[in-house]
Amino acid sequence: MAPKPGRFAVIEAIQQEMQRDQNLSLWWWIRPTAVSPFGKVIDLHREFGQDRVPQYTPIDEEWFVGAAAGAAMSGVPCIANPGYMCMTRAFDLVFNQIGKLRHMTGGQASMPFVLWQDGAGRTPGMAGQHSDAGQEALFAGLPGVKVVVPSNPHDAKGLMIAAIRDPDPVIFYHYGAINRVRIDVPDDAYAIKIGEANIVQEGTDITIVGIGPSMLDVNEAAKTLKADGVNAEIIDIRSIKPMPAAQIAASVRKTGKLLVVDHGHETMGTSAEIIARAAIDVPGAKFARIAFPDAPPPGNREMIAWMTPDATRTVDAAKKMVAS
Amino acid sequence: MSAVENQSMPSDQSAEDLAHKPAQNEPNAGVRRRSFMKALGGVAGGVAVMSAAAKRVQATGGSGWSYVLDDISDDKLIDMYDKMLKIRWWEEGIKEVFLGGKDDMYGVIHLYIGEEAVACGAIGALNEDDFIASHHRGHGHLIAKGGDLDKMSAEIFFRETGYNKGYGGSMHITDMSKGILGMNGIVGVSHMLAAGAAHGIKVRGTNQVAVAFGGDGSVNNGWFYGALRNAALYKLPFISIVENNGFQVSIPAVETNPVRDLSKIAHGLDIPGYTVDGQDTLAMYSVMKTAVERARAGLGPTLIEAKTYRFYDHAGLSGAKSGVLGAFGLPYRSDKDLMAWIANDPLPKYRNTLVSIGVLTEEKANQMEADVKKQVAASIDFARKSPKPQQDMGLSNVYAQGAVAPSQMFA
Repeated sequence: MAPKPGRFAVIEAIQQEMQRDQNLSLWWWIRPTAVSPFGKVIDLHREFGQDRVPQYTPIDEEWFVGAAAGAAMSGVPCIANPGYMCMTRAFDLVFNQIGKLRHMTGGQASMPFVLWQDGAGRTPGMAGQHSDAGQEALFAGLPGVKVVVPSNPHDAKGLMIAAIRDPDPVIFYHYGAINRVRIDVPDDAYAIKIGEANIVQEGTDITIVGIGPSMLDVNEAAKTLKADGVNAEIIDIRSIKPMPAAQIAASVRKTGKLLVVDHGHETMGTSAEIIARAAIDVPGAKFARIAFPDAPPPGNREMIAWMTPDATRTVDAAKKMVAS
Repeated sequence: MSAVENQSMPSDQSAEDLAHKPAQNEPNAGVRRRSFMKALGGVAGGVAVMSAAAKRVQATGGSGWSYVLDDISDDKLIDMYDKMLKIRWWEEGIKEVFLGGKDDMYGVIHLYIGEEAVACGAIGALNEDDFIASHHRGHGHLIAKGGDLDKMSAEIFFRETGYNKGYGGSMHITDMSKGILGMNGIVGVSHMLAAGAAHGIKVRGTNQVAVAFGGDGSVNNGWFYGALRNAALYKLPFISIVENNGFQVSIPAVETNPVRDLSKIAHGLDIPGYTVDGQDTLAMYSVMKTAVERARAGLGPTLIEAKTYRFYDHAGLSGAKSGVLGAFGLPYRSDKDLMAWIANDPLPKYRNTLVSIGVLTEEKANQMEADVKKQVAASIDFARKSPKPQQDMGLSNVYAQGAVAPSQMFA
């Protein structure tokens, strides 16, 4: 066990599952290789062959997702990885096919499908189409799919394995920012239960929930808050569908205050659903969120930095809530 | 020509029929140049077979793309070279800024260098009010359509004075005032946007055309086919130009497409498809002229594949060196291939043609290049001195009016 980069951790998860399941296949437009910090190379194409892991693929998101879905319902579990800039390109396939077919066929069609969706995150200089976050909420709005958003390489490996083993379609949202989080990743295969949040730190003053990349800010803010005498309960939501609402409500019942930090947009974002469920379950508690404004991400570095929730704003919001 | 007149055109009239009609608004033929071109033979690529009697000629190889030099004004020939120089030296200037490391640059650039003949030849055959839609590697299209170097440089620096006021950066530069529907970071959408603009042209009843530029990678998904198929169905004034530079990002085109000459895709739609030497400005111009005439005549779209090559990496400056043309040592391509393509550099090739036919002198060509370098330096200076946008500007321009609420801070 040692720290591993997020991408390596996920490819290691896929490798182990492909060794376990002779049919599991992968569509990715990049040759799926990864190198660990100690020089261990995983080359899925070389190990599993052209049919299960095509070496070269066209930039064709509809094909990746459609082919993976068709393979999955025919009994070949499949993972599709579209690039982060075109994550909704194959949205209709997820909406009208992948999420609906089991139900629409009266339970006949199984869909062991994983959309391993790269997320850009709020990256300066990329602008508009290459700096997005929060689109997991779009997928979570669709019936029949599950959605997970890991915030570190350890959870990424465990959630990918759980997603592959799940007989239902799972959208696995993989933000680039989580890859560099330093955390031990076990070598053996392990699954993290989908639908369960991670209580990162217990506390009594306020509950702070983060989603994927915003957990980096929340974890940093937690240190400052601790040093400043605020006893925050920190929750990494990990799964947004099914949503671990009971865990969050239990925390809010204890603290009486809920702050949600999301790099996604304010309107109809994941923060809205978290707060709605907690508000119904815990009447009288205080609720707040900080999220990216309802605007596309600008390219200019100062502009996007100003718009993105960060650790400083998280600390500021938490302190104001605790003081009020 | 109005849309009503378009409807009166026989729908089965071929581009070849049109091609033999006398050109309108073209300068008088120059005997000296025509004689020269006879002697030149295949050297100029686009004019392999000459006929003194005809204004248009058919090229060898049956691709149907030929246009006699006599039909192109000296001003046009020189302007195309000027635009090629601007693309080359503006991008080299931006490259030097990034490599210099003194300007705190960020973001990503996709250099067009090596492909100048495609943009300048093709756009040279357009009118000012025609539309183009570009892609991530689109600086060349912007400049060829008359893009302002100052505003382009300022956008690379994410300054308030940039084309997109710092919102867009390199990949999204847009000038709606010049019919440039923009560069775009999403592969393949240029075909859709331009085909849609072509539909708009029919609705408004103007005589414009709309042109999409896309790479060989853009052919690999459905939008390209949808745009071309529907443009053919509705006979839209649409031209799809596929810049086949051999690589979808770093994957060889031969690994992502079963078709070698991508223009063949047009055949299944019963529309003309031409594969052209994209390093030959005049070949690009002439095939484009044919396509534009067909589009303006209401006969529908054309697919053009330009075989070309990017001298630098897909994105960024791996393998690039200050003062050296081309990125060497990239893992996915051969340095010998790159050297061979640089040996066929479209700039000296076109310059030599212009000097040979007496449109330019060496002295004048040198002067043009020196002037362009000055303009480039001035544009970078302009960018450096320009103010950064206010940090809260990201809340504006979401809608036509007003600004959206900040939600990133606890109120």
